[in-house]
Amino acid sequence: MDVEGAGCRASPLLSVSGITKRFGGITVLDEVTFDIPSAKVIGLVGENGAGKSTLLNVLSGMLAPDAGEMHLGGEKYRPDGYGSATRLGISRIFQDQALILNVPVYANLVLGQEARFLRAGLFLDWKAMAAVAQKMVEVADIDVDVCRLTWEYDFSRRQAIEIVRACLAPIYLLHVTRPIVLMDEPTSALDKKDEAALFRLINRIKSFGSVVFVSHRLTEVLAISDVIHVLKDGRLVATVDPHVANESTLHSLMVGRERVSDYYHESRQCDARENPVLLEVRGLSRREKYKGVSLKVKSGEIVGIGGLLASGKSDLGKGIMGLEAPDDGSVRLEGLRQAKPEIRRLIHAGVGYIPAERLIEGLIAQFRLSWNISMAGGDDLFASRFGRWFEGKEEEVASEYVKKLSIRGGKPNIICQQLSGGNQQKVVLARWLCRKPRVLVLDNPTQGVDAGAKEEIYQLLRDLTAAGAGILLITDELLELIGLSNRIMIMQSGEVVAELDAPPDAKPTEKNLVALMLPASGKLPPTPPNAEMLAPST
Amino acid sequence: MRSKFEFRLDRSLWLPIGVVIALFVFFSLTSSAFPTVRNLTILSAQASTLLIVCIGATFVVLMGSIDLSVGAVVLLVGALSVKIQNGTGIGAAIVLLAAVLGGVLGLINGIIYAYGAVPSFVVTLGSLSIFNGLGLQILQGRAISFNSEALDAIAIGQWVPPIQNITLCAIAIWGLGVLIAQRTRFGRYMYLIGGGESVARNSGIPVRRYKLYAFTLSGLIAGFGGILSVARLGAAGPTLGQELLLNSLAAIVVGGTSLSGGVGGPHRSLLGVLIISILDNGLNLLGVTAYPQLVIKGVVVITAVLVSQARRQGILIK
Repeated sequence: MDVEGAGCRASPLLSVSGITKRFGGITVLDEVTFDIPSAKVIGLVGENGAGKSTLLNVLSGMLAPDAGEMHLGGEKYRPDGYGSATRLGISRIFQDQALILNVPVYANLVLGQEARFLRAGLFLDWKAMAAVAQKMVEVADIDVDVCRLTWEYDFSRRQAIEIVRACLAPIYLLHVTRPIVLMDEPTSALDKKDEAALFRLINRIKSFGSVVFVSHRLTEVLAISDVIHVLKDGRLVATVDPHVANESTLHSLMVGRERVSDYYHESRQCDARENPVLLEVRGLSRREKYKGVSLKVKSGEIVGIGGLLASGKSDLGKGIMGLEAPDDGSVRLEGLRQAKPEIRRLIHAGVGYIPAERLIEGLIAQFRLSWNISMAGGDDLFASRFGRWFEGKEEEVASEYVKKLSIRGGKPNIICQQLSGGNQQKVVLARWLCRKPRVLVLDNPTQGVDAGAKEEIYQLLRDLTAAGAGILLITDELLELIGLSNRIMIMQSGEVVAELDAPPDAKPTEKNLVALMLPASGKLPPTPPNAEMLAPST
Repeated sequence: MRSKFEFRLDRSLWLPIGVVIALFVFFSLTSSAFPTVRNLTILSAQASTLLIVCIGATFVVLMGSIDLSVGAVVLLVGALSVKIQNGTGIGAAIVLLAAVLGGVLGLINGIIYAYGAVPSFVVTLGSLSIFNGLGLQILQGRAISFNSEALDAIAIGQWVPPIQNITLCAIAIWGLGVLIAQRTRFGRYMYLIGGGESVARNSGIPVRRYKLYAFTLSGLIAGFGGILSVARLGAAGPTLGQELLLNSLAAIVVGGTSLSGGVGGPHRSLLGVLIISILDNGLNLLGVTAYPQLVIKGVVVITAVLVSQARRQGILIK
C-alpha cells in the first residue's frame, strides 16, 4: 500500500485512523484510515455520495466523527469547528468562494486575524496588514495587487487569492509550519488556462504544505496527485499510485455496487416504445446553463437524466417547468404548446414538479401536512371559483393520501417538521398525485430519503407509469437512474451527450454511465458553461 | 371542521389575551374614570382606526413583507377626501371613493414591490414619505374640516348605543379579515408565501400577483380607515395617521404575527390593537404625559415579542 517515495518516510503530517460517521441509520464513512504526508498532494476520488465531502467536513472540523481519531503533527487533533481547524493550519477551499468582494485583497488575506494588527488596541494598522499580505502574494508568486478591491479580479484570480490565504495565512499569521489545504472540486468553474495556473500554484505550495484534492475530473486528479485514495460507499477501497493508474482503473474502483433489480421493480418497467408522446421538449436553451436540449417522454415511460453536479440537469428541470425561463426552445404537452413554458399552465395541463431541495423548494416544514398537500390545488381542487377554500375536502384528501402512501406518523394536521425525510417527500408527491398528473418532472426525488421509503417511492412511480403517466427523472443517484429509467440521457456541460435505452434485460452499468458523464479522456475538459457567468462584470 | 376553532385552541394566544385582561384590571383599579361606559366608548372609537388599518397591514406582514405606508395612506386619503367632499358634497359615497383611492395607493406600492423587485421595506418607506408629503401639501399644513351629516352618522352615530358606528365598522372589517385569512384562497396563499415563497412558486401559486393583491388590500383598507378617521374627528389635520405607522406595526407584532411571515393572522391583531389602545387610554387617564407614554409603549412591545419569541424558537427573525 505504501506508494510513497523513500525520501518521504518522515512521520505523516495528519494521520486519520478509523474515522466513522453515521447519519441516521446510514454509515457515510466507514473506518476510513489514511495519512497526509507533508509536501504532498493527496487525490481523493469517488462517486457522488461516496463520502468525499463528509470526509472533508470531518477533516476541517465541521463534523465530528462518531468513531476514530486523527493526529496532527503527532498530537491528537479534535477540532470542534472550522475555526479551530484553521487555527491549526487546516483550511478548505469551497466550490463557492468565501471571499468578501468589496474590500481590498489584503483584507481578505488576513481575514479573521485583524486583531493581530491593532494599534493602541483600537485602530487597524492596514499598512502592516497590506505588508504581510504582499509577502504572502510574493511567496506564492501570483500576480495580484493586494491594495486593489477583490472584485476587480476574475474568478480564477480570486480562487488563487483564496488558496494563498488558506495555505499561507496560517504560516504568516498563526505560526503554523505545515498547513494543509482541502480543495473540493476547485477546477469546476475554471477554464483551461486558469486551471494550468491553479496547478502551478498547487505545485508551488507543495513546498509549504499539503493539499487534499477532490475532483470528479479524473485526468486532473491523476495529473496533480502524488497519491490517490478511492472512496466507495464510505469506505476507502483503494490507494493508487497515479503514475501507474489511469482513468479506467479509477472508474472501476469507484463504481461497481450491487444493483438489486427488485428494489427498483424493474420487472414492472413498461414497454412504452409504441406509446404516445406526452411531453416534448425541443431545443431548450438557457444561457450558461444548458443548450439545445430536446427530449420526449412517452406515456408509461421513465426517462432518466444523469450527469455530474454542474451538468445543467437541475437547471433543465426548472427550465422545462418555466421556473427559470429558457431563452430558446419550446415545451409541448399533448395539446399545449408553450414557447415560453409557464408553470401554472403546465400544472393545469397535468404536470407535476418535485424540486431537488426539499426543505427550501419543496415543502414548508413548519406548516401542517394538509396545507402542504393542497398547495398546488388552489386553482381548482381546493377552492371555489370565487376563492372560498374547501377545508373539509383538503382534510379528506390529506387523510386519503396519508393512507395511500402510508405516510408514517401522518395525519392532516401534523406539522411536517415532525415527519422523516422520506415521509416528507411522500407529502410532496401527494401534492401532485392528488391532481392525477400525466407527467411528473422529478429532481432527485429520493435525496435524503431512507432505503425503505425509497423503495416505496419507486413502487409509486411504477404505479404511476402503469397507469399511463410519463416521468422525467433527474437524479444524481446512478443506481436509481439505471434501475428506474426506460431511457437514459446523459448531460455534460449543459448538453445531452448520450442517450441510451435501458430495457430491464439490458441495463447499462454504472461504469458505462460514469464514462459518459466525465469529459472525454485524454483531453482536458471543455470550459464549463458557467465559467463566464462567474467572472465579474467589470 | 377543526380549522374553524383553530385560533381559539391556539395556546400562544393566551399571552396577549392575558396582557389585555391584566391591563384592563390594572387601569380599572388605578383610575376610576377608566371602567366607565363613556371612556370605553371613546377607547373603542380610538382603537377602531388602528384596528381597521392593522387588518390590511397584517396580510402584508403575514406574507413576509412589510407595509410602512398605511399611516401615510390614511393622511393622503383623508386630505383628498375632505377636499373632494367640500368640493362636491357627494356625502356617504365618499367612503367608497376613499377606499378606492387607498387601493390605488396600495396598488402602486404593490407594483413596485412585486414587479420591480424592490424590498417592501424600501418601497413603503419611500411611499410613506411621498404620501405624507402630498397629504400635507393638500392640507397646506392646516386642519380642514368638512360638513356631511352622512359621514357623521357613519362614524360617530350610534346604531347600537353606546357603541359608536366606527367601532362596528372596525369589528366588521376585522371579522371579514379573519374570514379571508382562514377561509379563502387569498388567505391561504398569504400564509404559504410567507412560509415558503419558493415552495409556493414551485407549486404554481402566482406569487407576484398575490403580492400585488395584498398591498392593494392593505391600501384599500387603510383608505377606508382614513375616511372613517376623518369622519370621526370632523376634520383632516396634519397629524392624521401620524401615530399609525408605529402603532400598527406594534399591534401586529404584539398580537403575534411574525415579521418573518407565515405565522399569525388578523385574528391576533385585534389583541395587539387592544393592548396598544388600552395602554394609551389608560396612561392618559393616569395623567402620564405623552413622552413617558412612548417609553412605556416601547417597553411593552419589546417585552411582548421577547416573551412570545422564546416559545417559538427556530422560526426565522427578520
